[in-house]
Amino acid sequence: MLIGLAIASALLIALGTSTRLTEPARGWLGTVTSPIYLVAESPYLLSERLGLIFASRDQLLERNETLQRQVLELAQVSQQFVSLKAENDRLRGLLGSQGRLAYEVLIAELVGVVPDPGVHQVIIDKGVDARIEVGQAVLDAAGLFGQVVEVSQFTSRVLLVTDQNHAVPVQVNRNGVRSIAGGTGEFDVLELENLPVSADVVEGDLIETSGLGGRFPAGYPVGIVVSVLVEPTSAYTEVVIRPSALLDRSRHVLVIFQPDQQIVTEQEAQSAFEGSETDELLEQEVRP
Amino acid sequence: MNPTQGGWVILTSFLVALVLSIVHLPEGWPEWFSWLRPSWLVLVLFFWAIEVPHRIGMITMWIVGLFVDVLLAQPLGLNGFILASVTYVAWQFFERLRMYSVFQQCGVLFILVLAAEVLRELVLGLGSSRVWNWWVFLVATMTSMAWPFVYLLLVRIRTGMRIE
Repeated sequence: MLIGLAIASALLIALGTSTRLTEPARGWLGTVTSPIYLVAESPYLLSERLGLIFASRDQLLERNETLQRQVLELAQVSQQFVSLKAENDRLRGLLGSQGRLAYEVLIAELVGVVPDPGVHQVIIDKGVDARIEVGQAVLDAAGLFGQVVEVSQFTSRVLLVTDQNHAVPVQVNRNGVRSIAGGTGEFDVLELENLPVSADVVEGDLIETSGLGGRFPAGYPVGIVVSVLVEPTSAYTEVVIRPSALLDRSRHVLVIFQPDQQIVTEQEAQSAFEGSETDELLEQEVRP
Repeated sequence: MNPTQGGWVILTSFLVALVLSIVHLPEGWPEWFSWLRPSWLVLVLFFWAIEVPHRIGMITMWIVGLFVDVLLAQPLGLNGFILASVTYVAWQFFERLRMYSVFQQCGVLFILVLAAEVLRELVLGLGSSRVWNWWVFLVATMTSMAWPFVYLLLVRIRTGMRIE
């Protein structure tokens, strides 16, 4: 019987690692097991609640004040944003390309963390019932957080940008140099992959999503370049990025819903047309 | 004596083991701390499988393993095989294992968990760019060190609840 089970396991593992056939089963099992995550996370959820209940009046007033200040600051920024967006759309109209569409977001709360240190995944409290689908981008207040890789009825699983298996098409905010930011398995390090030595990237550059590949919307901050190392023996520059998102601290995240038609420029339209599965290949194809 | 008596106790102990295997440390603790986590599920399973082998089925354990796979974000079937193999070993040798002292049982567990963790790392390495790490020895050591405590606790529960 053990041999039978071993064969069953081997088949399932082979199916699971090389195809997507087991995903519905995982979703179903995930629905059943999500309460276990809630129980395991309950100390943190409870302490958050209790902290709110037992907070002193002064603390609450102080917090209220800081939040109000933040709202004012953000309101000012968004006023500018509205006029800038209008101007941008007008200029895009002059160039003959369509304006960017606004994205809808959904706020979700973190309800679990995958315990394996080699896997950077978290569980959020919105799933199929909130119309979340595999592949949606997830942000936190500071930057790109990750993407949805598995959905069950009430929860879904988010792969963080720093996971070893994660890569995101990016560009340098200053000059638009495109590359791929890959995760390294450490919470504070991303790397630009296959960047030629001649590429213009310097320390302190802001790296943002390029929108190529169609999976991540363009223009969200991914991280800041902390070191650029040119090895004389290597054909590539080693660029280390510190992620903007607070990957190991954020408890509230935003799930992005892409509008159905999101054709922006010819270049991006081309990449969206060719499908989102082959981000890396595409990136190389469209690189000038 | 009712043969199904105390089924809920066994079930609860497995649920507690599941919760313990996914509880994470507060933010800010060093990442390698989570390698100190013993494999709770194997401990609980090993106890019930040598004490009441007729109550633990291999196929049941394989199915439990599917849920563990989803909880730990690992390929489906991996933990099922690990749990079923532990059950198999316990079934084959339960009379002898019961006679062993607790420390000999620790040794058996060390070998079992080490084999299981090596298999786990190999399978996880198949589908990703994950690098081999030597922490697996730590997991096996921690598991065998936790065994005496788990054993004492569960023996108490078992005799208290008169689970046969």
